[in-house]
Amino acid sequence: MHASAKLFLLTALVAAPNALLAQGNPDWLVDTLYGSGKINTVIAVVAVILLGLAFWLYRLDRRIARMENHHRP
Amino acid sequence: MGKEVLNLLKLEAALDLRQRAAWGGMLLYVVSAVYVCHLAMKDALAGTAWNALFWIILLFAAFNALARSFQREDQGRQLYLYTMVHPRSVVLARALYNALTMAVLSLLSLLFYALFLGDEPLSRADLLQFVLAVVLGGIGFAAVLTLISAIAARAGNGIGLMAILGFPVILPMLLAVMRASQLALQGAPWSDAGLLFLALAALDVVTITLAWLLFPYLWRD
Amino acid sequence: MKHWWWKFLAVALVLAASITALRTPLAPAIVHVEPATLQPGTRHAIEVLGYRTQFVPNEVIAYIENGGQFVPAGRVDVIDDTHARIHMYVPEGLREDMSDLLVTAPGAGTMRLFDAFYNPVKGSGATHDIAAEMTVHHRKGFAFPNRNLLYETIRNLNFHVPMWFTMMMLQTVSLVFSILVLRSGAELHDRGAVAAVHASLLFAMMGLVTGSIWARATWGGWWTTDAKLNGAAVTVLIYLAYLVLRGSVTDRAKRARLAAIYNVFAYVLMLLFIMALPRMTASLHPGSGGNPAFSQYDLDSSLRPVFYAAVLGWMGIGAWLLNLRYRLARLEILQEDARIR
Repeated sequence: MHASAKLFLLTALVAAPNALLAQGNPDWLVDTLYGSGKINTVIAVVAVILLGLAFWLYRLDRRIARMENHHRP
Repeated sequence: MGKEVLNLLKLEAALDLRQRAAWGGMLLYVVSAVYVCHLAMKDALAGTAWNALFWIILLFAAFNALARSFQREDQGRQLYLYTMVHPRSVVLARALYNALTMAVLSLLSLLFYALFLGDEPLSRADLLQFVLAVVLGGIGFAAVLTLISAIAARAGNGIGLMAILGFPVILPMLLAVMRASQLALQGAPWSDAGLLFLALAALDVVTITLAWLLFPYLWRD
Repeated sequence: MKHWWWKFLAVALVLAASITALRTPLAPAIVHVEPATLQPGTRHAIEVLGYRTQFVPNEVIAYIENGGQFVPAGRVDVIDDTHARIHMYVPEGLREDMSDLLVTAPGAGTMRLFDAFYNPVKGSGATHDIAAEMTVHHRKGFAFPNRNLLYETIRNLNFHVPMWFTMMMLQTVSLVFSILVLRSGAELHDRGAVAAVHASLLFAMMGLVTGSIWARATWGGWWTTDAKLNGAAVTVLIYLAYLVLRGSVTDRAKRARLAAIYNVFAYVLMLLFIMALPRMTASLHPGSGGNPAFSQYDLDSSLRPVFYAAVLGWMGIGAWLLNLRYRLARLEILQEDARIR
């Protein structure tokens, strides 16, 4: 991927949630997620689990790539 | 089976007594460790720390002593031994002999430890309970480390691998025995400590049974 | 399609449990009182801050509970939905150090702030100004229990705890593979055992890190001396040692056998350890070391099926990860055989 395309994607990824939140939070979001502190703990926990699964996919990808390389002449 | 184990035990003892240097080495290891602690701490130790340090010294002494368990004999003699007797007898005899060794070594360690680092914490203790904890702990260390030592020896990797493999599996034993000896130091009544001792003895038996079950697979080549 | 149903089921369960965990509101609760120290024998005006409460004038009743005795409030002024001022006389002779505050209102139910007040002067029990019985309201609807200290983090229950269940399941699978190795000596079983160990370590790591983050937010430390944490640490060390053992033997058949023996030995000792440990050391976790289990103050037993769904779903995901690795291992063995021929 081109470097500027990567930068665009990264910016979009970072900016998108902020842009969504800036539009004013619906009641349920305020009530359930931001009502009192410590919600960031839940966010961090979910993020860790997603990263863990991504790590597993990465390892699997590497193993499959190794098999593919054996098949190439 | 029983006779075979007994004969093997006698063989172990005869071989071991011939290697007096090895016993000297083990004792020197304990004495040096205790003396280093004495120099480092003087007599600033009380209660919990006294107990913890004793078990740490004993833990490393056990690793040091039992690393030799399956490494001292050469391949030829080993092969000969295993064609003559059942591998389960071998591991049972070895585990029992190691347990005996560790029981003696633990008591000697306790003696040196009390000599150099003070026996003040023992003054309020239930001495019988403490000695029982030390003996059961020593036997437990031997039970766990016999199979671990055999695995490490078969892997062709010496004491380094044994420490890595042995440390996490010996932790349960270590925590239980530290707890038991701590209770003994506080002079807890038998009604409190009895169950813990029973659990310790059960853990020793389970560990030896596991070694007995698994050892034949280790030997099959 | 035949082999896919359980994967779909796992994803559906995890999805449903995660959405419920994030979407379910917290129950209304009292989160703050001012002052937090009682002077027995004097009148008090206590400011109360509620979370998601809707105080209605003349409907709010408050009590202070100390050692099983209920002291009713004289008058409750409602300032707005979440603020109220309690006027009350605190009698002398309260038995315990800490008192709970109970605020009860129709709709919101009975809310309890545990250990809300410190009581500097201890006595042998109040003799007057106590209520014979308490008015209790039951909350309607579906909500997470709202505990002080935990607050929103109670949602982690559906993310953090299933990691450990999945880890234990994968370790048991690895034990079964190891027993198969001892019986058959098959290469594939050995690969299965190591794949299960890898997957279990992934879940152990996720469990450790999520637990650490949660502990930091509620107990104030990344790592605490706790029975469950010790058990987790020993488990991780055992399986790391298992991998080191594999790494130090080159001969395949020998490696498979040695690793299998160590796995069986360590698994049994670990199991005994985890069963015996809570009886030997203190724990901050719910349901052990004298702490109330979540279920005891989890008034919404309807949330329990959601927790079980999360556990089952994550076990399914774990099984799927293992399944992929196992099938890959089978292909690798075929490929290696083909190259040798």
